[in-house]
Amino acid sequence: MVSASAYVPAIVLLPFVSFIVALFGRDNLPKRGAYGGIAATAGSLALSLWVLVSVRNGAAFQETYYTWATGVGSQPWGLTFGALIDPLSALMLVIVSLVAMLVHIFSLGYMNDEDERDLPRYYAGLGLFTASMLGFVIADNLLMAFMFFELVGLCSYLLIGFHFREPGPPSAAKKAFLVTRFGDYFFLVGVVAVFTTFGTAAFAGTESFPALAEAALNGEATVWTPGGLEVSTWFTIVGLLILGGVIGKSAQFPLHTWLPDAMEGPTPVSALIHAATMVAAGVYLVARMYGFYVLSPTTMAIIAFVGGFTALFAATMGVVKRELKQVLAYSTISQYGYMMLALGSGGYVAAVFHLTTHAFFKALLFLGAGSVIIAMHHNEDMWDMGGLKDKMPVTYWTFLAGSLALAGIFPFAGFWSKDEILYEALIHGLDEPLILGAYVMGLLAVPVTAFYTFRMVFLTFHGEPRSSLARDPHPVRWNVKGPLSVLGVLAVVTGGINMVPVQKVLGIEGIDYLHLWLDNHWGGIEGLSSHHYAELNPYSSQYLFGGEVSTVLAGAAVSLGLALGGLALAWALYNVADPAEHTDKLGGLKALLYNNYYQDEFQVWVADNTRAVAGSADTFDQGVIDGVVNGVSSVSLLSSERIRRIQSGVVSNYALLLTLGLTTLLVVFGLIGGWF
Amino acid sequence: MSLLLQGTATDWVFSVRALLPVVLLALTGLVVFGINSLRPDGRDNKLLALTSIAGTLSALGVAIWYLLAGTGQPTHGGAISLFSGAIIVDGLGLFFTAIFTSVATLVIAASYDYFETDANPASFYSLLLLATTAMGLMAVSNSLATVFVSLEMASLPSYALVAYLKDNRGSVEAGLKYFLIGAVSSAVLAFGISLVYAATGSLLLPDIAAQIGSVGDLNGVLGVGIVMVAGGVAFKTASVPFHFWAPEAYEGAPAPVSAFLSSASKAAGFAVGFRVFATAFQPALDIGIDWGLLFGILAVVTMVLGNFAAATQTEVKRMLAYSSIGHAGYALIGLAAITAGASATNATVMGAAMAHLFVYGFMNTGAFLFIAMVERWGVGRTFEDYAGLAERAPMASLAMAVFMFSLAGLPLFGGFLSKYVLFLGAINAGFWWLAAVGAVTSALSLFYYSRVVKALWLEDATTDLDAIGDAPTGLYAAVIVAGVVTVLLLPGFGPVIETAEAAAAALFA
Repeated sequence: MVSASAYVPAIVLLPFVSFIVALFGRDNLPKRGAYGGIAATAGSLALSLWVLVSVRNGAAFQETYYTWATGVGSQPWGLTFGALIDPLSALMLVIVSLVAMLVHIFSLGYMNDEDERDLPRYYAGLGLFTASMLGFVIADNLLMAFMFFELVGLCSYLLIGFHFREPGPPSAAKKAFLVTRFGDYFFLVGVVAVFTTFGTAAFAGTESFPALAEAALNGEATVWTPGGLEVSTWFTIVGLLILGGVIGKSAQFPLHTWLPDAMEGPTPVSALIHAATMVAAGVYLVARMYGFYVLSPTTMAIIAFVGGFTALFAATMGVVKRELKQVLAYSTISQYGYMMLALGSGGYVAAVFHLTTHAFFKALLFLGAGSVIIAMHHNEDMWDMGGLKDKMPVTYWTFLAGSLALAGIFPFAGFWSKDEILYEALIHGLDEPLILGAYVMGLLAVPVTAFYTFRMVFLTFHGEPRSSLARDPHPVRWNVKGPLSVLGVLAVVTGGINMVPVQKVLGIEGIDYLHLWLDNHWGGIEGLSSHHYAELNPYSSQYLFGGEVSTVLAGAAVSLGLALGGLALAWALYNVADPAEHTDKLGGLKALLYNNYYQDEFQVWVADNTRAVAGSADTFDQGVIDGVVNGVSSVSLLSSERIRRIQSGVVSNYALLLTLGLTTLLVVFGLIGGWF
Repeated sequence: MSLLLQGTATDWVFSVRALLPVVLLALTGLVVFGINSLRPDGRDNKLLALTSIAGTLSALGVAIWYLLAGTGQPTHGGAISLFSGAIIVDGLGLFFTAIFTSVATLVIAASYDYFETDANPASFYSLLLLATTAMGLMAVSNSLATVFVSLEMASLPSYALVAYLKDNRGSVEAGLKYFLIGAVSSAVLAFGISLVYAATGSLLLPDIAAQIGSVGDLNGVLGVGIVMVAGGVAFKTASVPFHFWAPEAYEGAPAPVSAFLSSASKAAGFAVGFRVFATAFQPALDIGIDWGLLFGILAVVTMVLGNFAAATQTEVKRMLAYSSIGHAGYALIGLAAITAGASATNATVMGAAMAHLFVYGFMNTGAFLFIAMVERWGVGRTFEDYAGLAERAPMASLAMAVFMFSLAGLPLFGGFLSKYVLFLGAINAGFWWLAAVGAVTSALSLFYYSRVVKALWLEDATTDLDAIGDAPTGLYAAVIVAGVVTVLLLPGFGPVIETAEAAAAALFA
């Protein structure tokens, strides 16, 4: 049998081919490129599933396909393209290709049926976006990951700005590009630092940088550090540099401001960005090189704290938003905050679990929102909606499933993953005040999440229709309902892949599949198992109420109770025939939340007040750099003019100069050689 | 002829076979004479051109065949020494013969159109063929006597060629200036040769090398002689300070002649320089005659002067004339980076210089032939006059853009690789400063080369271009062929550099 590994590059190349086809096929393609994209992503999905099965059968591997540069000198390094297929990347491949395929199908309804223009450009963008993310997922070294990371950023720029003829989207695209680029700048410095320190950027193997870092900390290997810095300090710095890119891409505080604006892009693109590609890339990167991060307690604590803070901070802003997609945008920021909290507090499996469940339910919610937006003729204001429950039952029920998952209500997918994150943060945080603080913030975000989620559901689907659009919504077709149904089912059942609390409470062994999966239970790559990470992580576990089981139960009960509380409040306020705006009761807080804590204004203020720095840099550039360049050219031209004048046109001058030149040479060389 | 008759009949045939490219060229020249004397009034331009091209192409074919077959190369019994060692047939000679004959073929094809209305084209073709013959001899000269004679043989037809447009003041004046500077330079060379002979007692290059170790007190005489011989080489290659003739001659001469002189004649100068200094004068490096440094200084000054002067020219042809001086500076690195006892690096850098001259032969000839085409259209000479030509002649303008970017060394064409290998060779030989000057002046050269491309492609026509109606077949073909070869030399650079380095390595063996 042919091994799946030979087809791994095809997973990336198929969407890339659809990008090329859409780019050059233009308007001659059936459905303007949609079918090509669906076929390509379906192919990627099939291959990804095959890879998943073969990894399940112990065929994890790491392979270098192409070395495109090699170093010289005593420590030869190579810059390579390769694939690292282990349980983590195999799982992620399936998630990305599945969501990408569903988004392509949904786009048929959202874009083609709405007669949007320039569709080949749209499908070309989606194809390249998917290909970039898949390439990022299989990357076996940090530099390759960085390159695809940048491609992902580029594609998000192209797609967010798809409707470039309107004023909003290009501006949002620019903002997304610049803000994430700010983070990526640190990432790039981090990549160089990793290369300089370890001479390699490989993720896996005994010669990989996490392995070398571990050895260096144990004193078994020596690595370069700048100015004789302490090894652990330097690793913390490098980790934080790379984290810069993660914070930008995964929209963590304070670089989260691009994400709400990115809602200007077409809704299927938002689904792709939020569920499977752009934003997921940041968290995936931390998980990918988790073996490096666990070595630095400081970095771990920072990741956890930033994550917990972002989870709460973004959730509060979601409470007051009027537009459907804005609420979802802040929920994304908040949910990725949870994943960062999990990673930072040592819950590697919990983070991957939440990444998985979130991918499904957030894609579902965005596509559901897209369906509502089609129905509402592209009006996104929830206060114009209401009563859509009976008009669009498929959308309603699937959206409800997604909302229950997002709110963390038992037994939907989100409950399991969020509960595990909070549990990990709790047991590891009892000794660590910073982690405990992050845990508290994460816990506080739970009722807020449930509240804004169900405020959204009730305002959109319940009550009486509040506008003529909502009374007579535009119908949606199979190509919208199909993806919604698939994701709706997944949002309900995905929690089943990791029933850790059930296992712990009831003592049924072997139903924590994801734990076993990531622990290389069915084979994987040495050094990339959750077990290995658990040995390395700096935390000790503490339990409340005298035991593991009681801690599990208490944690689950508290978070579920809080979620139900938030839901109940939303029910009371908004599940009425004609809900009123209660946000005014918040007083000054409303303006604060509505303006996103004046984050954008703050960034503009920072930009304005650093104008002096930029100004002096500009002066340096204009005066010194350009001055040198211009000076060189004017000196060159001046001397050219002089040299040109030597050629006087008088032949006796030439003979004189020639003879003088020869004589000078004779004299000079005669003196040097001692001929006289 | 006496030498020829001394040997047996077999030796005579062998000599002709070994020198077949040169003999073919000389015979073709005679055939052209014959055609002209049989029909003195008939203007058989087409017949003459075809005959000449047949001659240069067959000489080129034989040169390439010999190169591929290994004639005169270490793999097949080593260099073939003829006429008591005065002539030597080896890889270097054949390689340079291939350059001369390629350039001559292109130039003749272009001249067919350029001299369409000329009263007596036969004299032009025969002068060109004889000059090419003499260059072929320069490349195989192994004695200072044959060097001097063949160099004069090449120079005299060149003077006539530059002054070929008898009714054109510029052409005649340029011819005279070229001749006068040439006379001074020849005197310098002859004096230098006599001093070398005085010190070593031989004119044969290997014998000179053998004698240098025992010159004793005469090393000053030898040193002066060597510097003066270097002066002769500098004249032929248009290097500073013997370059003064070049801008005037290239500008005044008919453009095909400029192409011929700046490509083939320059290469011939380097053929002589490479052989004489590598074979005869290499031991002089050990006794305080540092001609490597001499060529280093000449290379730097030539690169700087040529490129700087080119930057402010207003006429395209004169700009190319100075750029041609600049390229002589690059090729001089092949001599400047030679150090005593380092055969491997010497061969690498000299081979790189030879490969650069090969690529340069095509791109520079093509550029001058494009100018010949513009001259034929009567458009004008300045950059402004070239504006908008791309609309009228897109293929030729594309080829010109290729030549310009290739001359500048942009990494899309043959000129990039040859410069790159040359500078890399210089760095490996320890002469990073030569490579640095080369790189800086190359960057400057992009400025003036891109001015041509900008004028052709980006600017709107300032003059009436309606006159450009016809497409001269021969000129067009020559320009396009040169362009295609310039492009193909990027992927096909491997065999060229390998042949050149093998030929150079044989000199240092």
